[in-house]
Amino acid sequence: MRGAEADSEGREGEASASGPGSPGSTSTAPPNPTPTPTSTATSTPTATPTSAATPTPTPASTPAPPAFHLPAFGLAVLAMLGAPAALALVSALLDRAGAGPDLAFRLSLVAGALTAAALGALAGAVGRRVAFFEISAAGALLVAALLVGGVLLAPGLRSGTLPIGAWEQQGKLVLVLGLLLVAGAITTAAFVGSSLGFLLYGGGRFDASLSYELFVARAHLQLAPRTLLGLFLVVVTGLLPGLLLAMGISFVRALQERRAQAARLPFWRPRMPATLLMTLISIGGVAIGVWALTVVLSVMSGFEADLKSKILGARSHGVVLKYGDNDFTEWREVRDRVLSVPGIAGATPFVYSEVMLSADRQLAGAILEGVDPATVGTVLDLARNVRQGDLAWLDHPERIPLPRGTGGAEAPPARAEVLPGLVIGQELARSLRVFVGDVVNVISPLGDLGPAGPQPRSRAFRVAAIFYCGMYEYDSKFAYLGLADAQRFLATGDSVTGLELRVKDLDSARPVVRRVLAHLEGYPYRVKDWGELNRNLFAALNMEKVVMAVILGFIVLVASFTIVATLVMQVLDKRREIAVLRSMGAGTPSIMKIFVAEGLGIGAIGTAFGLLLGFGTCLFIDKVGIPLDPEVYYISNLPVRLSGVEFLLVALLSLAISYLATLYPATKAARLEPVEGLRGE
Amino acid sequence: MEPLLRIRGLCKTYLMAPEAGARQPRRVEVLRGIDLDIGAGELLALTGPSGSGKSTFLNLVGALDAPSSGEVWFEGRDLFALDEAALAEFRNAAVGFIFQSHHLLPEFTALENAMMPALIRRVARPEARRAAREMLALVGLADRAEHRPGELSGGEQQRVALARALALRPRLLLADEPTGNLDPATADGIHGLLAAINGQLGVTAIVVTHNERLAQALPRRLRLQGGRLGG
Ligand SMILES: Nc1ncnc2c1ncn2[C@@H]1O[C@H](COP(=O)(O)OP(=O)(O)OP(=O)(O)O)[C@@H](O)[C@H]1O
Ligand SMILES: [Mg+2]
Repeated sequence: MRGAEADSEGREGEASASGPGSPGSTSTAPPNPTPTPTSTATSTPTATPTSAATPTPTPASTPAPPAFHLPAFGLAVLAMLGAPAALALVSALLDRAGAGPDLAFRLSLVAGALTAAALGALAGAVGRRVAFFEISAAGALLVAALLVGGVLLAPGLRSGTLPIGAWEQQGKLVLVLGLLLVAGAITTAAFVGSSLGFLLYGGGRFDASLSYELFVARAHLQLAPRTLLGLFLVVVTGLLPGLLLAMGISFVRALQERRAQAARLPFWRPRMPATLLMTLISIGGVAIGVWALTVVLSVMSGFEADLKSKILGARSHGVVLKYGDNDFTEWREVRDRVLSVPGIAGATPFVYSEVMLSADRQLAGAILEGVDPATVGTVLDLARNVRQGDLAWLDHPERIPLPRGTGGAEAPPARAEVLPGLVIGQELARSLRVFVGDVVNVISPLGDLGPAGPQPRSRAFRVAAIFYCGMYEYDSKFAYLGLADAQRFLATGDSVTGLELRVKDLDSARPVVRRVLAHLEGYPYRVKDWGELNRNLFAALNMEKVVMAVILGFIVLVASFTIVATLVMQVLDKRREIAVLRSMGAGTPSIMKIFVAEGLGIGAIGTAFGLLLGFGTCLFIDKVGIPLDPEVYYISNLPVRLSGVEFLLVALLSLAISYLATLYPATKAARLEPVEGLRGE
Repeated sequence: MEPLLRIRGLCKTYLMAPEAGARQPRRVEVLRGIDLDIGAGELLALTGPSGSGKSTFLNLVGALDAPSSGEVWFEGRDLFALDEAALAEFRNAAVGFIFQSHHLLPEFTALENAMMPALIRRVARPEARRAAREMLALVGLADRAEHRPGELSGGEQQRVALARALALRPRLLLADEPTGNLDPATADGIHGLLAAINGQLGVTAIVVTHNERLAQALPRRLRLQGGRLGG
């Protein structure tokens, strides 16, 4: 690179006359042809009594690196400008390309972070430093600019897939917090980049090698497989038993030592170095944080999946509606056209109304849905959810068995009046205290026009079946009846409210229903997918999950503080070693690598433990099951859903936090001057 | 001819926390202007009373510390005009250090300690190991390669330090009292080793010692006193 290799060969000969095998090249740099020392031209080999020993010495000529590196600062500012620009650009591009807002937002975040990191790396390489001051200053500028710009501009901003507009709608506080978060993320990304730039390029040339740094880091951590296994067992057994066991062992040791002393026998007591203890505590902390995070996220995902499957089993994946009242009479033709759209698995007409149900003296509000018994099976799981009775009796109300109490078993069926059938949910049946065959009155508030204004319309139905879908809201609210009965009762003629759809692939429900709309040529039709139909529920679930992740992320954050403490202790403990390594020519990036490797090692081992524990716990919950009171939670076992993506994200988060935690102690180590560590034992 | 080492007007003043009541930091002038030329292949003894600044001087020549003023030219290059990376290279391969209290790395075996400079230089591990073994053999410790510093005697530790200092065949060897707390016979052995290495490998060496007898045995002697050099 600098001709050092070639030069060293020549130098080798004169320096080591009898060197049989020279270990690599030994020269430092090409020789300087004509050095001209400015002082004393006539050099005396021995001491020259210099007159008037300089009382105020002139500063040495070493070009001390400036405390504030301007080019690095410039690059940091560029990072702060470039990241939001990249973010906005990618967001706009994806918006145009038609990606979903979630995906677009995430991708644009990644683009912004990468830009900040790349420019930060450049700053680190150019400034030959982890540009703490420079990036902090630039970050402060960015915060100021974003706050001023964001607060002033946000009201008029068309932000595309960026959530700035949404933040602005939620008030100034949310907007300010959101912008601060973005600025913090960009600054952090720049820090990470700059530290990487310094680690890789801080020595003046690219050096990604980790050979001896890992060697030294491993020796510092002193982690034997046995020690790690012990730690793992302590964490697995839930700390308390493990710690009790450790205490027991230590007590037995103390007893043995006493006995040995009493018998005047030699005794060797293994001692755990303080730094090793700290290391183990940090690993345990990270492991517990990752464990909690993975398990809680998996359980929440389980709840979400459970809810989703219940909702989507009981309700449709999408609907086709029509603007205007009571004139969706061409639904048979529309249904045929909808069914021809690829990705659609089924479609069924429905009529929808809110009614009151009464039985004896019980009263309940309900949602009345008229369904076509012939095709409803292609969309809803109604038939599968029926617990008592039979869905087919909607078409054949005369087959509904009469309740025993009224003497239905012995009295001839002909004597009982044939009433149209009604299918209600289990909770609704319970609150109305009815069983299959009982009579239920359906009261519609929007009834006929009587002499004194509109009068509620009432009609008697017979319970044909009782269903249970597992969602309390549905089991206590829904009542189904035959389409024709519903149309007659609600006096809608041949018109329906809309068509319910089932898609083949749940996750592509949105594009499929959009395709349906395009196929129907838009107005007067409109479509909704299940996400839109249940937006509040899923948004709340998602928010809950994010908040949970943030709160549990704090455990990992606290664990990372112990990493900081452990590394600071290591650095203090190894001051002399750092100085010796420096005196042997280890560069500052190299020293930093050692401690970054130590911290990342702690983080990685802790994360691995945590993931393993999380995986094991989830498997346990899944296979063995933790029973819940179904009366309260409406679910019999704690649900859990393992998601590889979630585990990966947790691992990345934990490793990223660990890496950040190493930066302060590692730069502290790298800044130690060789003489500082060599002096004073 | 350009000497290996050319030192001009080297001064070192330490600043210390001010005494009670005073505001100015205390100044300790240790070196008050040292001029010295050392040719390639020389073997020097540096003596002087305790506290006269011998370790300070070696630290400056080895670029472990920056002077208050003055220059050190090594092979025609002004050391203190070099940037951090070039200084690291200089410390790595051009100079070998033996400290007053040897400073071996306690977690590593003798062999690994001797390998360390080569590993820092990113030499492949097998080659570094081979060179380190060679050096350990040279100082007569081939059979102690797998011992940790804690399992070695003082003299053996000092010899490991010598092997480590010589690992990359430096042109300059700076030995700060390598025989400080050794018995006379062992001290003689170490000095003999130094002389042999100087002769065999042509390494220029500055050896600090309190032992007048050993100093007299070396070809050139310097005495540091009152911050200046005397013959
Ligand atoms: N960092 C420092 N701050 C203040 N004074 C220092 C510092 N380092 C050394 N000194 C002082 O400089 C003087 C010279 O120290 P140095 O270690 O160079 O002496 P020495 O000649 O090597 O002594 P010895 O033979 O005992 O090793 C001493 O008086 C010491 O107190
Ligand atoms: Mg000394």
